[in-house]
Amino acid sequence: MAEQRQPVQNMPRIMGRGGPPPHARMAMPTEKPQNAGATIKRILGYIGRNKYLLFALLGIMLVITLLNLAAPFLQGQAIDAITVSGGRLEVDIPLMLQFLIMLAVCYGISSLLTYFQGIFAAKLSQSTVWVMRNDLFKKISYLPIKYTDTHQHGDIMSRMTNDIDNISNTISQSVASLFSGVLTLIGCFLFMIFYSPMLTLVSMTTIVLTLVVTKNLTKIMRKYFPMQQSLLGELNGHIEEAVTGCKTAAAFSREKRSCEEFDKISDELTTASIKAQISGGVMGPCMNVIGNIGFLLVAAAGAYFLIINFNPLALSGPVTVGMIQAFLQYTRNFTRPINEIAQQYALIQTAIAGAERVFEIMDNPPEPDEGKDDSFEIDNVKGDINFTNLCFSYVPGEQVLHDFDLWIKSGQKLAIVGATGSGKTTVVNLLTRFYDIDSGAITLDGQSIYDIPKKKLRGSIGIVLQDTVIFNDTIAQNIRYGRLDATDEEVIAAAKTAKVDEFAEKLTDGYNTVLTEGGSNLSQGQRQLIAIARAVLADPKILILDEATSSIDTRTEVYIQEAMLALMKGRTSLIIAHRLSTIRDADKIVVIDGGKVVEAGNHEKLLAENGTYAKLYNTQFAGIAT
Amino acid sequence: MKKILKYLKPYWLIAILCPLAMILEVSMDLLQPQLMSDIVDNGILGTGAPDENLRYVLQTGIMMLIFSLTGCLGGILSAAFGTMAAQKFGNDMRKDTFNKVMHLSFQQTDKFTTGSLVTRLTNDITAIQQFVAMSLRMFVRTGMQFIGGIAVILTLNVNFGLVLTVSLPIQLIMVAVIMKKASPMFETVQKKLDKVNSVVQENVTGARVVKAFTREEYEIDRFDKANTDLMDTNLKVQRLLAILNPILMIVMNASVLAIIFIGGLQVEAKAMAVGDVMAAVTYITQILMSVMMVGMMFQQVSRAMASAKRVSEVLDTVPAISDGEGGADVSGGKVEFKDVAFSYPGFSGKPVLHNINLTVQPGQMVAVLGSTGCGKTSLVNLIPRFYDCTEGEVLIDGVNVKDYALDDLRKNIGMVLQKSELFSGTVTENIRWGDDNASIDEVKHAAMIAQADEFISDFNEGYDTMISEKGASLSGGQKQRMSIARAILKKPRILIFDDSTSALDLSTEAKLHAALRENLKGVTVIMIAQRIASVMKADKIAVIDKGTIAAFGTHSELMENSSIYRDIYYSQMKEGDVI
Repeated sequence: MAEQRQPVQNMPRIMGRGGPPPHARMAMPTEKPQNAGATIKRILGYIGRNKYLLFALLGIMLVITLLNLAAPFLQGQAIDAITVSGGRLEVDIPLMLQFLIMLAVCYGISSLLTYFQGIFAAKLSQSTVWVMRNDLFKKISYLPIKYTDTHQHGDIMSRMTNDIDNISNTISQSVASLFSGVLTLIGCFLFMIFYSPMLTLVSMTTIVLTLVVTKNLTKIMRKYFPMQQSLLGELNGHIEEAVTGCKTAAAFSREKRSCEEFDKISDELTTASIKAQISGGVMGPCMNVIGNIGFLLVAAAGAYFLIINFNPLALSGPVTVGMIQAFLQYTRNFTRPINEIAQQYALIQTAIAGAERVFEIMDNPPEPDEGKDDSFEIDNVKGDINFTNLCFSYVPGEQVLHDFDLWIKSGQKLAIVGATGSGKTTVVNLLTRFYDIDSGAITLDGQSIYDIPKKKLRGSIGIVLQDTVIFNDTIAQNIRYGRLDATDEEVIAAAKTAKVDEFAEKLTDGYNTVLTEGGSNLSQGQRQLIAIARAVLADPKILILDEATSSIDTRTEVYIQEAMLALMKGRTSLIIAHRLSTIRDADKIVVIDGGKVVEAGNHEKLLAENGTYAKLYNTQFAGIAT
Repeated sequence: MKKILKYLKPYWLIAILCPLAMILEVSMDLLQPQLMSDIVDNGILGTGAPDENLRYVLQTGIMMLIFSLTGCLGGILSAAFGTMAAQKFGNDMRKDTFNKVMHLSFQQTDKFTTGSLVTRLTNDITAIQQFVAMSLRMFVRTGMQFIGGIAVILTLNVNFGLVLTVSLPIQLIMVAVIMKKASPMFETVQKKLDKVNSVVQENVTGARVVKAFTREEYEIDRFDKANTDLMDTNLKVQRLLAILNPILMIVMNASVLAIIFIGGLQVEAKAMAVGDVMAAVTYITQILMSVMMVGMMFQQVSRAMASAKRVSEVLDTVPAISDGEGGADVSGGKVEFKDVAFSYPGFSGKPVLHNINLTVQPGQMVAVLGSTGCGKTSLVNLIPRFYDCTEGEVLIDGVNVKDYALDDLRKNIGMVLQKSELFSGTVTENIRWGDDNASIDEVKHAAMIAQADEFISDFNEGYDTMISEKGASLSGGQKQRMSIARAILKKPRILIFDDSTSALDLSTEAKLHAALRENLKGVTVIMIAQRIASVMKADKIAVIDKGTIAAFGTHSELMENSSIYRDIYYSQMKEGDVI
């Protein structure tokens, strides 16, 4: 594959704050400065939604930390019960037992609380990612068609699963250690200040070192972790594309090439991951060294202070040997949580990179819906549609329709014919507001469709597309998609109308047969029949058939024709087809060419005109002229 | 698991170096507390002169720093080796699995479902990878702590061993029991994740239909259900695992209490010193902590096991369609069906095709007509062995298709599918699927025959135009023509059109047919079509009805003999119209 990809043409691009260009390989991670702080804040915002749970968890952790501090003290007391007094060894068994019982109580409570900590942490992380997943899905549902038309589906899926999983792991594993780490840090710091502010100052100099190391390592990590995640997304994209397109791959014996391409991305991912993980793994050992340097500095400075008896501002009084020893203990305790956090750093970075990718989708503006006219009632739709002076282009500068005018009268059955790529489907895309016009107007019953709430606009339109979408569900459920509250009888009636019953009833499980995405158990034509049954059940005010019968043989079409005619009767219908037998009976036929309507009229009139339509018609009858 | 671990074999050296470097790090870590207490005991608390003490602090400190840096080096090396081994191991496994997936036959891919295959290739493999990386580093560390701790504690006092013989088995049994319960639950978690993935995939791919029926809320509900299911299952596992830690802690703490108590009695009996009791407490904590770590690792183990099982499932699948012996090559392009019957694997009931006998001579153009669902696509799918027939045989040039090497067979068959599948890449790249080495002129020529050159040239970037997600921005007819160009570029002996001109307008189709005739002389063409006009000029027309060939002949023969054909004809040409 060419490494240098050209900018995409004839393809809508995401404008504004949108995501990355669809296939810009490798380019995205470093493209824009990313703000980890803002991302963390947003994740925290999600965690914060479960305020009570969060506070309960933090409270439990506080108690556990305190108990953990108390335990060594009690242990010491118990052992102190075994004492040497006056040269004689004495063991005060009752006193020892007393401390042991206290210790046992302390441990018991701590264990019990640990159990709740585990449960609460799991609940917190799971419910947080649950909300995130739901939010992300909601967002995806309301994104404009443009977005899914131009973004790798596998990459979107990767954000939903892998990236969010990483966030979940981080919350359940890191939040606890971060919090208790911070608690310990604060505690130690206070004790250190209490003993000797000057020594504290000395030990804090290592913080400068910590910052320098962290900053440099983070710089590397901020490059490779996002790269790792986006490569993982790309890999996912490749997998999804390869698996869904496996028929073509087999037909062209492309398995090997596809594997080679996969290997290439997989290798790139491996390289990026190795770099990312190593830079993450270096953190721990480095922090260890820094901790030791700090210890050393304090020990040396302490010894020196002892010599010159220097300990200003200390609350604990003048410098003593015991004080320095205690201070050193706290220095060691101070570095431990830092080490722990450092060890989690790689995990946290992965999560941040993942979260950025999730938020990137969430930050896309949803489909605009300016429709504010709540008085619009689907039941009152007459179906008078008017396109006036319409201009539209998917890519600026490449007009698909210009000065396009078309009037579909209420109840009319209108057919659109024209060469492939002349813009027939575009008309449908605009009427349903999958895409928005550049200029001109589209009105429904005299009202601009931009004033009608999208839900109501689309609710009054029933549409059958050429590329049938079948859901991984039963035949009955697939048909019921047209109207969710339909009874079984209504579903079966719709199935009968669309001749679905003929093949559905032959299947072992009948209407309860589960259809697969690949659908090896269903032919393309049968899928179209199901889509038609869906539209029949939906019973819309306006019906659009976009090549809806292209894979259905003409005899079956004749069978369903009757039903179709009944379906179209009294409602505005828009039919796009290449098969003249499908459109001949239309009230009006318009021929589109070069983004404009060039001919219009009924079958007889257009034949008499002997224009483009007549030519098309004659090819049908003359067979294939050679 | 064994099968999976074999992927680690090529990297055994770095895989071993990782724990070795780890040992270096851990031993340096273990030395440091000694040096630190030396600094405190002999330096700061030292009996010598204050400046002597300071010198001692500095001297020991520098030594400590050197150890610390060595440890740091060990740590970095161990991280590097561990990461490399795990990543490369995962990479190999992922490539192999993908390779397998690409060679599965369609019914097998269908059975796994796309969503599940995607999770297996990413999520599951990552889980295994993480597990390997962690075990390389953590097992050694905890192992050293565990064994070292036991050795020391026994030398302190054999009686302490008594505590261990009680507490260790309890801990181990607890870990084993909970892991056994958790393991199948992790499998369920992955299954639920598959479901989430599938819903997302369906919605992204079917966005138009969802929006057209304004089913966004319905889909959000559906997703909510899959998502809640996933969360609930996850929580169930977590709840189970949450029991483990406190129980291990209780056992550990009880042991500590026992040690202090026994120690107290021992001291009273003058059998040991007080300092030893304190040391014993430290060591038993260390031993049991390492068991706790193992317990935590086992969480990863059971998740990795579940993932390994799912990946093995893919790796173990034998492709239903395998290479023939090979040797033969398609030269003429004669296609024969002899007593062929076919039903889709896993579907009972009447076979889709039966008693098929059909011969297509080299260079002939045969059209296939028939009603929806009668088995036209199934028929042509048998030629490139997308499926194998259940009875009878399919022959090309007199050789059973099962005897060809798959590549030899398929490279000679150009297949244009009913559903045009385009891939991310430029127009040229997509057409070059037919022949990687084709020159740009050849690509253009193929596009010209397929009537695609005109619209491609109209794009701003022409042949370098990027195809967006699955060709979403192209019209149905444009996609079909690009797929046709792709098949033509292949220069096959046999060209199959599976209803792949349905979205073309009639004049374009007529031009396509003319160009095919002119440029593909001698190529056998099998064409499924719906429109009579498309097939009238074919050499022979096969009419399929109810899974078998109802009639076979030229247009005029069929007009005379076949009522079905006449039916089809009149359904398209209203009676009274004159040809």
